[in-house]
Amino acid sequence: MAISKEIYKALESVAGPEYISDDPVICEGYRSGPGGYEAGLGYERVMTTVPGCVIMPRTTEEVQRIVKICYRNDIPYVPYSTGFYGPRSHPHVEDALLIDLKRMNDFVLDEKHFYVEVGPGMVYSPIQEECMQHGAYVVIGGGGAQASAIANLIGDGWSPLSHRIGLPHRRILGTEIVMPDGELLKMGSLAQGDDPFWGEGPGPDLRGLLRGYTGLRGCLGIVTRMAIKTLPFQPERLEPTGISPNTALTLPEKRVKWINFTVPSKDEQVKSMREIGHAEIAGAVTKVPLFWRAIAKAECKEEFWDIWGKETEESVANFFIVRVLLIGYTSEEQMEYDERVLMDIMNEVGGIARRTKPSDESWIKNADSAGMWLMCGGYVSVDYVIETLSQSPGHGPCYAELKKKYTPPLMPDYGDPGWFQSFEMGHQGYSEFLVYWDPDDDTNPVDQFYVDTSKMNIKNRFYTSLLGPHQPLYLTGPKYGPNYHEFLLKVKNEFDPKWMSHPPVPLAHDVFVERAPWMHHMKDWESPADIPK
Amino acid sequence: MDLKEKLSELVGSDAFLDDPASLQNYATDYSYTPRGAPGCVVKPANSEEVSKVIGVCNQNAIPVVPCSSKVHFYGATIPKEGGVVLDMSRMDRILEIDPDNRRVRFEAGVTWDKLTKALEKEGFRVIMPLTPPAERSVLTDFLEREEPTNQVYDYGEPLQGMEVVWPTGEIFRMGSASVEGYPDSPSKGGNPSGPGLDFYRFFQCAQGTMGVVTWTNLKIESIPKMDKILFAPIVDLDYAINFLYRILPRRIGQEVLLLNNVDLAAILAQDWPADFEKLKATLPPWTLILVISGLLRRPEEKIAYEENFLAQVIKNEFSDLRLDENLPGFPGLRNKLLPILRKPWPADVPHWKNRVKGACQSLFFHTRPVKAQQFVTRIREIAVNHGYPLSDIGMYIQPIEHNRACRPEFTFFYDPGNEGEKSAVRALYKDAAKLLLNEGAVFTRPYGDLAPIVYERAASYAAALKRLKKVFDPNNIMNPSNLCF
Repeated sequence: MAISKEIYKALESVAGPEYISDDPVICEGYRSGPGGYEAGLGYERVMTTVPGCVIMPRTTEEVQRIVKICYRNDIPYVPYSTGFYGPRSHPHVEDALLIDLKRMNDFVLDEKHFYVEVGPGMVYSPIQEECMQHGAYVVIGGGGAQASAIANLIGDGWSPLSHRIGLPHRRILGTEIVMPDGELLKMGSLAQGDDPFWGEGPGPDLRGLLRGYTGLRGCLGIVTRMAIKTLPFQPERLEPTGISPNTALTLPEKRVKWINFTVPSKDEQVKSMREIGHAEIAGAVTKVPLFWRAIAKAECKEEFWDIWGKETEESVANFFIVRVLLIGYTSEEQMEYDERVLMDIMNEVGGIARRTKPSDESWIKNADSAGMWLMCGGYVSVDYVIETLSQSPGHGPCYAELKKKYTPPLMPDYGDPGWFQSFEMGHQGYSEFLVYWDPDDDTNPVDQFYVDTSKMNIKNRFYTSLLGPHQPLYLTGPKYGPNYHEFLLKVKNEFDPKWMSHPPVPLAHDVFVERAPWMHHMKDWESPADIPK
Repeated sequence: MDLKEKLSELVGSDAFLDDPASLQNYATDYSYTPRGAPGCVVKPANSEEVSKVIGVCNQNAIPVVPCSSKVHFYGATIPKEGGVVLDMSRMDRILEIDPDNRRVRFEAGVTWDKLTKALEKEGFRVIMPLTPPAERSVLTDFLEREEPTNQVYDYGEPLQGMEVVWPTGEIFRMGSASVEGYPDSPSKGGNPSGPGLDFYRFFQCAQGTMGVVTWTNLKIESIPKMDKILFAPIVDLDYAINFLYRILPRRIGQEVLLLNNVDLAAILAQDWPADFEKLKATLPPWTLILVISGLLRRPEEKIAYEENFLAQVIKNEFSDLRLDENLPGFPGLRNKLLPILRKPWPADVPHWKNRVKGACQSLFFHTRPVKAQQFVTRIREIAVNHGYPLSDIGMYIQPIEHNRACRPEFTFFYDPGNEGEKSAVRALYKDAAKLLLNEGAVFTRPYGDLAPIVYERAASYAAALKRLKKVFDPNNIMNPSNLCF
């Protein structure tokens, strides 16, 4: 149903006339793409629409009132903060109300109790800067420092710095969420008062509704306030240097240091990561793809291709690097201890320390910005899995093998198996696989590759991020849990029986496969007849 | 066939109990919760039997009360509406120990005693809460979020992928244990999260109301190569708390805790009650206990840098603090206390909480450490009002997450055979809970009398919990009359 004048007036009375618009020019600004994450693919073309109206609330109460108006009048709505997540964070149905949360950018830092309290419009960059000025740091996810911290934490939320803390869920403290019908749910210590310092309960932990292993794209409500746990850091200043886009943090070498090692084989790579975890040292431990090194070295796209074009399957297959971040959390003496232990481990595995710049270009400062990966014009991180170091090293090669079938249009990368690393001091292992393509090519095979990866994960019994709303639920659901989709849909139906909050998520990929003719031949799973076409 | 016959057939007659003497064992616990009336007890041997039992109970709308331990303090396993007690003690297998990923997978009936011994043989340990009874279920303690005494690990929560039987009887694996064919898979169950939702969160502190967890994966850690246990006598609690604010963010120590003279005396006493009374009278008001450890590699060097850091901080900023390997006046304490912190409380010795007077009621919550002294003062005021002797209040403060939070625990001891004492402690407990809630105490584990007090305050949370509960347990069969259900 289109937004009528009466409803528009009601919404306008909530946010004020300056902060609502159905002007097609304004709404066009919220069209998905171009040039972003997962941009230009079939999902974007088939599933996304321009919103019928955009509203920018300032407070939780305004969000509640807006959602209640929508719910009462059957207006579908989509929460939107910084929009990094490409097509998936845009409206999927006509005449939806897009609730842009950028104005909700309040930020309180509690230095003593290691948390920040933010609104959904607050991005990571100032959070990290303020934290580091007060002896703490946050983990900035791959979305970059310009991503909304809340959206990132209820979506993905990890980086190599997760070697110490791992799952982002653990950093979610007191939280307010406007449920799909407009009711306010306060979680953690906010459920009992106005102090957000604690995340649990009371009783069963409803933070389980905020996300699964990956996020829910706002289909179970809108988080309007969250306290995020920060981690104690070291006291020395990391000095910003350079001119954008070539910026870095100069590291105080006695307290923060990256060291790159080459090791003889993949087995040694994995072994060194395990041993570092068992020894309980370091702030990050990661295996870097050769591909990333080419990106880091290049000043422009052309230079990247010059560098990358010199590689071969053999050079990629025989490149084994382990990148370790040492942090003197306690003292310089502690960092010296960590370094001695690290060198012991590297001596045992035949690792050789390479010259490493005394600066940080990515993971502490801002993670990787979306643009960094745009070597071909289009890219997506197909899978990013937290499991163990038993699964992680074997996961990427399976992707690389499957990718051959879809290259081109996927970029030739000489069989690069992605990257993996230690999480939670080696208790967990992380793997991630990215693909790149030229949007001017026929990209239908990219869509097909994406679904094929789910089938590959199911067949090989890998855990995967491609669960929840990220792939057809009726494809993955029966194979994990089993039948996690049934429980997820029951919860969705209970809290959003009218399916007003970002419809048709979490069934959007099921709908996509139905709508896109080039996907039909891939559908070899059962699904109900009443999924919207 | 009636229900009892059906259940007996499902689990086998040896694993089915309905004689009055057996039922009495499940009717009470160490709390003051009124006696319950179980209809029968079943002891399933595996997940399939759990599934069948719950399925039958769901069809017949019969309450199911899961019970994994032999030692219960909070009344959560007392059947409040009758029904079937699902005793998980036969499911006590340690399914795998995975040294590479520092992971163990085990069933709900595995006790602290069994798990710690098995892990010790392999060089591993569980990060433990304070003195868990040897016969308690490890899984239950972690599901119920007992706070470990070791808070140095940034990642905290130790539970990983697990299996549950929903109240409808369906078996479901969570996190990365959800892959088809698990555990015969590259995925080892190291991630508790997902698929779809973080279902595992719904089972935390659920007191068995959301379903039955049958097995779990759990993070384990290497046993340190060497340890030093340090003590500081504390008179000014704020001073000690400020010291912890200073050192714990710097990731110093393994086990770190503060105990008052009553709790520490109860833990240490051997000749009872003379030893207890003597210790209580002579121990300092509070004792800070801090363990620093050398890990797998270069253990002496690790201990050295931690000691050097501590020495600098004490010299420059906390010169009144006497942190030493010996607590003045208590020689030999270091050799005695470390094993107590690293092992479960032995099954053949009454738990220290019950040794004082036979039973106790503990009030615990989360707060900012800066407020700890305020809560101590309030508790003392309330105790005075209720005529409870100040000298008999047990106090324990557990710093959490680098001391960004803490968990104070106040214990009131009573004679379970004295109805007057019991009801007086109950009244004191409820009054204290209400007052502390008003002053910002955060109760995350609302048992018994605490539940209505907390959920009245957390009304929107309770409403959402009820909706969620209805999704998974439409007939409200799982341990009814607990929490807000």
